[in-house]
Amino acid sequence: MAARVDTPGLRPVALGRTSRIWLSLLGILVFWGLGAWIYQLTQGLIATGMRDVVSWGLYIFSFAFFVGLSAGGLIMASGAEVFGVKSLRPLAPIGVLTAAACVLVAAMTIIPDLGNPQRVWEIFRYPNWSSPLVWDILIIIVYFAFAVTDLAVMHRWTMEAGKRRRTLRLLAYVGLPTAVLLHSITAWIFGLQISRPWWNTALMAPLFVTSAILSGTALIALVALVAHRFDRFELPRETWTALAALMATALAVDLFLVGSDYVTILWGNVPRERAALDLILPGGSWQWLFWLEWVVGGLVPFVLLVTPRFRIRPAVFALSSVLVMVGVYAFRIELVVGGMIKPLLQLPPGNATGSYRLGQTSFQFQGIYHPTWVEYGIVTALAAFLALLITIGYRWLRSVERAGATA
Amino acid sequence: MAAETTTKRWGMVIDQNRCIGCWTCAVGCKEINNEPLGFWWNRILTAAPGDTTGESSATVADPASESIDVPHGTFPELDMAYLPVACQHCEDAPCVKVCPVGATFRRDDGTVLVDYERCIGCRYCIAACPYGIRVFNWGDADQPVDFTIGYGKDYRTTDGRLVFTPDRPRGVVEKCTLCVERIDTGEQPFCVEVCPVGARIFGDLNDPESEVAQLADDGGATQLLPDLGTNPRIFYLPVEQEGSV
Ligand code: SF4
Ligand code: SF4
Repeated sequence: MAARVDTPGLRPVALGRTSRIWLSLLGILVFWGLGAWIYQLTQGLIATGMRDVVSWGLYIFSFAFFVGLSAGGLIMASGAEVFGVKSLRPLAPIGVLTAAACVLVAAMTIIPDLGNPQRVWEIFRYPNWSSPLVWDILIIIVYFAFAVTDLAVMHRWTMEAGKRRRTLRLLAYVGLPTAVLLHSITAWIFGLQISRPWWNTALMAPLFVTSAILSGTALIALVALVAHRFDRFELPRETWTALAALMATALAVDLFLVGSDYVTILWGNVPRERAALDLILPGGSWQWLFWLEWVVGGLVPFVLLVTPRFRIRPAVFALSSVLVMVGVYAFRIELVVGGMIKPLLQLPPGNATGSYRLGQTSFQFQGIYHPTWVEYGIVTALAAFLALLITIGYRWLRSVERAGATA
Repeated sequence: MAAETTTKRWGMVIDQNRCIGCWTCAVGCKEINNEPLGFWWNRILTAAPGDTTGESSATVADPASESIDVPHGTFPELDMAYLPVACQHCEDAPCVKVCPVGATFRRDDGTVLVDYERCIGCRYCIAACPYGIRVFNWGDADQPVDFTIGYGKDYRTTDGRLVFTPDRPRGVVEKCTLCVERIDTGEQPFCVEVCPVGARIFGDLNDPESEVAQLADDGGATQLLPDLGTNPRIFYLPVEQEGSV
């Protein structure tokens, strides 16, 4: 890969020691995950911790999370163009790069979740148009193609400048609704299900859009900060301020939406809706999600981001970005598990689990979910692959930029 | 119009007044369909008698026990009724709506079936079904004995879709088929046949003369979680309580 970056004609970017260690580490993780996936293919999904009650797990949390991460890109690029937020413009290339990489990895995350991955092509052959999943896959493809086009136009230095600007503007106007649609459709996979009161709220799409802007911006900030640390990537002061403002606002809106949902459920006190919330609120068996979402990934980064004294320090900014992503991931877990853990019919003996062990019941009242090493391995590998894509993509962007600057 | 009247609309009425909670239908179902260990297409839930919709005891208060056959309520106000639950063959089936590849589909006679050769194993249908009746083949089917019991052959619909196979493929979802291979040849679903007290009545809802149509129409019949609008084809005759209006 490095050889590609160093092709003659472009200013060579030498691979430093840190980069080499970083890239090898990512490579090892990717191979480890590939091994885990092969193992899972030989065993079937029984190798995971999912069973019939909590039948979606780490793969779906991560899928929803990666889709969300991809938001930042087009928001940056489009925000700069559509709303004329000049300070965000320097981040547009990184943004579009992360968008393309994240949405690609999100699509890949669905594959290990399937019981019959070899049949995935059937979605194109026999699409059932009433299924939000079909629409989601379509919009993922569109979004990916779009991000790649955007990236290509941005770096077509040969294109005459005025024409490039116009094309970028046009793309920005299309990009914004595409991004909103991507997150809304992903939200509707959950939000439209009457069988899961915890999911079945009209807030789901706004929540997904907001948390996507939040985590996507955090990812871009993180990439920019790492680049700043290791590659002397410089951004004007007002860009940082704009980023912090965007993140803090998105965080506040996100928690506001989640909070409104809590209040609605608590006040209404409809038992089938309380069932999930009680598990997550302090005192419930999944309360760690609450703390991660509201304090670790909520209050703490919010304070860090709105206090100028803190946010001007790159390390603190990076920490806030990571915490924000932790909070958003916690929300994804809360969403999926909360929706599935207590089936609607809470009557003895419960739901059949589809697994049998001598001396143990085959029924569950309340679902149990402990991810296995296979799931952790595969998801870590996907995250590593994402980091790899972004690293390589970033180096490519920089080399093209330098070549452009000297041309 | 003529076609409509000749089309069957299979449905079932379960009389909770008769059900004694013996699980014969659930075990019979497991046998005829060669269901792997840990799989139950059909379960007999212990409910409260006033709960005609699966709603009240389901969620208003947690049941007194997670074990079956334990009455609901506080002594001496104890009461219970049995609620056999398998696929409700919903008219407006959420599982059919969400399946991305149409592996879960509704036949003209209203039977909701799964095509084992089409299912990609995304489990979206499990998430969508309100009744928690779908089971997934997470690994290789675990069978109690080394030979096939029950129907024992593949069964395909007239358009060639594999809707039953005794040896379950890995990574597909399965559920009650209303014993499609039996009803297509004029037999009753196996649970109806084995029920020792005749609590299950099966037939054509399109035929106004049929017992099932009359019972289902008779005002007293309820459906499970009716507020969700799935409009099940399975009806329940709730327990008639003394002193109830
Ligand atoms: S009960 Fe569940 S599986 Fe059966 S038709 Fe209704 S939604 Fe589908
Ligand atoms: S698991 Fe199979 S039947 Fe269920 S929604 Fe997915 S493809 Fe359809």
